[in-house]
Amino acid sequence: MKKNIVFLAAAAAISLALAGCSAGGSDAGDAAADTDKPYIALVSKGFQHQFWQAVKSGAESKAAELGVTVTFDGPASETEVDSQLQMLQAAIDKKPDAIGYAALDPEACVSLMDAAKTASIPVVQFDAGCNSDYPLSIAKTDSLGAGALAADHMAELIGGKGEVAIVGHSQINSTGVERRDGFVEQMEAEYPDITIVDIQYGDGDHLKSADIAKAMIAAHPDLKGLYGTNEGSAIGIVNAVGELGLDAGELTVIGFDSGQAQIDAITNGLMAGAITQNPIGIGEATVQAAFDAINGETPEKVIDTGYFWFDKTNMEDAEIAAVLYK
Amino acid sequence: MNATPVTDQTRVGGGTPEPRRSATSFLRAQIQQSLAFATLVVLLVFFSFASSNFFTWSNISGILLSTAVIGILALGTTFVIITGGIDLSIGTGMTLAAVMTGIFLVNLELPLMVGVIGGILTGGLMGFINGFNIAILRLPPFIATLAMMLIAQGLALVISGVRPIYFSSVVGFKDIALGFVIPGLPNAVLILFVLAILAYVLLSKTLLGRYTFAIGSNEEATRLSGVDTRKWKIVIYTVAGLFTGVAGVVIGARLDSAQPQLGTGYELQAIAAVIIGGTSLLGGRGSILGTLIGALIMSVLINGLRIMSIQTEWQNVVIGVVILIAVFTDALRQRRAAS
Amino acid sequence: MSNQLLRVTGISKSFPGVQALKDVQFELDRGEVLALVGENGAGKSSLMKILSGIYIKDEGSIFLDGVEVDIDSPKTAQALGISIIHQEMNLMAHLTIAQNIFIGREPREGLFLRERALNRKADELLKRLGINLDPKALVETLTVAKQQMVEIAKALSFDAKVLIMDEPTSALTDVETETLFTLIEGLKRTGTGVIYISHRMDELRRITDRVTVLRDGEYIGTLQKEQLDIPTIIEMMVGRHIEESARPTARDRANNEVVLKVEGLNTRQLLKDISFELKRGEILGFAGMMGAGRTEVARAIIGADLSEGGRVHINGKPVKIKRPSDAVAHGIGYLSEDRKAYGLLLEQDVNTNVLLASLRDYTDALGFVHTMKGKQKSREYVASLRIKTPSISATTKNLSGGNQQKVVIAKWLARDCDILIFDEPTRGIDVGAKEEIYKLLNDLVAAGKSIIMISSELPEVLRLSHRIVVMANGRITGILDNEDANQAKIMDYATRMGDEKDL
Repeated sequence: MKKNIVFLAAAAAISLALAGCSAGGSDAGDAAADTDKPYIALVSKGFQHQFWQAVKSGAESKAAELGVTVTFDGPASETEVDSQLQMLQAAIDKKPDAIGYAALDPEACVSLMDAAKTASIPVVQFDAGCNSDYPLSIAKTDSLGAGALAADHMAELIGGKGEVAIVGHSQINSTGVERRDGFVEQMEAEYPDITIVDIQYGDGDHLKSADIAKAMIAAHPDLKGLYGTNEGSAIGIVNAVGELGLDAGELTVIGFDSGQAQIDAITNGLMAGAITQNPIGIGEATVQAAFDAINGETPEKVIDTGYFWFDKTNMEDAEIAAVLYK
Repeated sequence: MNATPVTDQTRVGGGTPEPRRSATSFLRAQIQQSLAFATLVVLLVFFSFASSNFFTWSNISGILLSTAVIGILALGTTFVIITGGIDLSIGTGMTLAAVMTGIFLVNLELPLMVGVIGGILTGGLMGFINGFNIAILRLPPFIATLAMMLIAQGLALVISGVRPIYFSSVVGFKDIALGFVIPGLPNAVLILFVLAILAYVLLSKTLLGRYTFAIGSNEEATRLSGVDTRKWKIVIYTVAGLFTGVAGVVIGARLDSAQPQLGTGYELQAIAAVIIGGTSLLGGRGSILGTLIGALIMSVLINGLRIMSIQTEWQNVVIGVVILIAVFTDALRQRRAAS
Repeated sequence: MSNQLLRVTGISKSFPGVQALKDVQFELDRGEVLALVGENGAGKSSLMKILSGIYIKDEGSIFLDGVEVDIDSPKTAQALGISIIHQEMNLMAHLTIAQNIFIGREPREGLFLRERALNRKADELLKRLGINLDPKALVETLTVAKQQMVEIAKALSFDAKVLIMDEPTSALTDVETETLFTLIEGLKRTGTGVIYISHRMDELRRITDRVTVLRDGEYIGTLQKEQLDIPTIIEMMVGRHIEESARPTARDRANNEVVLKVEGLNTRQLLKDISFELKRGEILGFAGMMGAGRTEVARAIIGADLSEGGRVHINGKPVKIKRPSDAVAHGIGYLSEDRKAYGLLLEQDVNTNVLLASLRDYTDALGFVHTMKGKQKSREYVASLRIKTPSISATTKNLSGGNQQKVVIAKWLARDCDILIFDEPTRGIDVGAKEEIYKLLNDLVAAGKSIIMISSELPEVLRLSHRIVVMANGRITGILDNEDANQAKIMDYATRMGDEKDL
């Protein structure tokens, strides 16, 4: 019974994802009929998180600027490797002028990269790459570096010593792993007096992450800081701190990405600051690279779209405000 | 929809009948509950010894708070499972109710009470549609509620514009979950307990409860006795939907936002809590107290493992094993009672 | 005022492909017991379902107290004072007796149930009816017979003008049947009309005032009490003459070898020192009251229940039977009294049911089932046992009781069982089909099979068994040769509750 439920739930989620895909496909059909405009199919890791919505808006504004058509698909959750591959297959079948792809799993996509090669469709990547030689470029954040930057700020804020813990969003996909590893490695290398006492994963689910953070705070009364590796994890920590009634600053919270709730938390002091990527820039760079490839130019192999520390002091700066999303 | 005889008809193959059950199910329910209760106590004692930070009021109140959402969902779905049905739409239904609450309060700026009631009624409406599809269109509960699970998930995303709705502008909303009517006890926990009492009264003292057991026990016989089983099934699913609606308001208040992508997986946790609490998936047997204890077992276990810094991967393994043990001991006890 | 309570005329009802009832009529007076008889499929159940509002008639009229009524739901029927006791048990196992009796009519105070008032009402009702049961007991803890008493109490709780009883005694012991008859006598005095459906011919003369016979959905005729003659009724029912065959004698099989020998079998709950022998080609009848332990003996032999200290020999060799699969491996097949629950997959087709126990014979080393070969075998059994079914792919649920029983028999024959244990082989089966089952049992033993037959109907035991084992209170109180046995003697042994034993 249980197995059936899980299976059907999975099947349901896939079919929902496919429904999203076919909706995108119909747009593409219209676009393909419009032979004047080049068509770029973007297959993302997801579409529900604000981060992906920001990537999408960056891609769309760049597309308008360059006079190309883009479609943007992604599975319902970032665990659905299989349904994402089906979307990629469908994108290849539509024979676009170029494909932009963000790999959920670096190995599973290799055979489809070969298929794209056979079909002579140039591929550019964003956010996370595939272990294949075929894609021309990747526009992404240096997640290891971003994690290390978070560690530097954490160390500074807690005075270089004490216990900290991490609420991760995934122990599998590359952003989750690298944001964690960048943080952990930097702490080990530079701050010997800081101990990372616990790392647990809440799948980016706000409620689950809040409960995890509360358990960590209960288990480690001397805890000085908590680091959340994505928006859901970070908001979970903020909720936990709020529910426990801790005073602002009693525990140093560092988040990742932006969104209204994190911006509010930084404003009111519950969160010390966060690392933001440049999702709009990722979207823009991806479409630009695809456009270059269509026109026979070779885009840069790795396009680092950058990451920034932001807190109460610099949130209003033009450079930062431009990459934050609400 | 066929008449099931009083004896268990699930056994196949000739020549291997089970003897008639001899122990009373009342007694069995008591034993299951005390068994579940004993499990809960054992877990509490074990974790208290394993970590000195476990048995603190702050952590216990954290456990209770983390039980609230799953617990409220489990209370409603207990009714459905006792009828022999299942409701898979409670997880994403909860999310849709939260999103609708957001629409009412944030976008339409309706008064707090109106928005909250609107959110709860959203859940009730989904439950009503489930009940209609199951009782009138005669769809199997599994299929009808699976469809509703997808519809609710999709609508939550569409209506919210794939964006969280923040309640920070709504004065007092957060207090629904995190305020304190009783000092030290978050309101979400209070709501869980009040609903548990309400569910207990509904199930054991009213016609609704009586017919819930009757339908799960032998639906055809209940119908032939002149009970309008179609009407009552709609009522039962609607009640479950109302509980889902309350869960939606509570999770919205706790996160101070409606997160449209949440929800899947919550239904399985709620169903697991109901089963651990001794309610039979075959229908006819179950109790609210059991469900409450089942939900507490789940959250104590998860919290305890987290406190002990057990790796997330292994936490899932342990929870799975506990569910197996719970269902197995139940089956074992029934076999004992039978022989 | 006329004494007529109920008049039914010109009732027709058809289902897709079947004309269930054609222009049927009958009348029922106040304080009268009318028996409605006919083979299974004759239309009795359909007619009763129309009266109780479960089916809606196509044509015809129903007059209650001289007024035409329209019965469109079970609720309407109940409101009009027409109550039915279904043949199938229709109780909610997980509810108490009181909750079952008053389901749909619970005493309430606003939203809340008044459990105490409910139990009091149920207690009063049970006392009035002379049924000694605790209204707070859960139905699942009751024996079949007691559940039946609850069904009756439930039907009578409606202050019924017309009470329909569909085979009420099929699960009752003689003592319980007597209690029921006393109940019916009481109802007659209060003016209640009773429609009584039964396959037990001996009961008809005992309690009915008139008998109406149906056959193939049509009205055949009505006999007054003084005209009641069982062979005539049976002829009207089946449309042909049935011959009574001679009783078998133990002498016929006296020198046959013993195929099954049981010694000193005990169970913790009930059985004490059970020992007997079964000979090749013999039907060994097991008689006794309900609860005497006959079914328990069968279940202990086949390993369905735990037994202690017993020795079982098959064809002279000692065997260990720990579970039913061991019994099947040794060629023992058990046909449960409750074939719908334990004997058949009702939703599956005839073919699947026939082959269920022997599927391995039609499966090759790779695990593929050879369907054609299996279907061929099924068809052979359908033909040789004269199972009335449109085809072997018909759903078993749609077969009559007798034909379902034959499907179970076919299943064990296909498995090549030499020893067959029949538990109430003709329960719920009408007279014509009973004859066929009897003939089948005789054919089986003639072909060298050996049969243990548990039956609560003494005429059946006497008619078929070479020897008769009588049980009481978990012990064997006597083993009689058929030529020495009669009903009185069997009843004598069956009521010996003490330790006395007379072999």
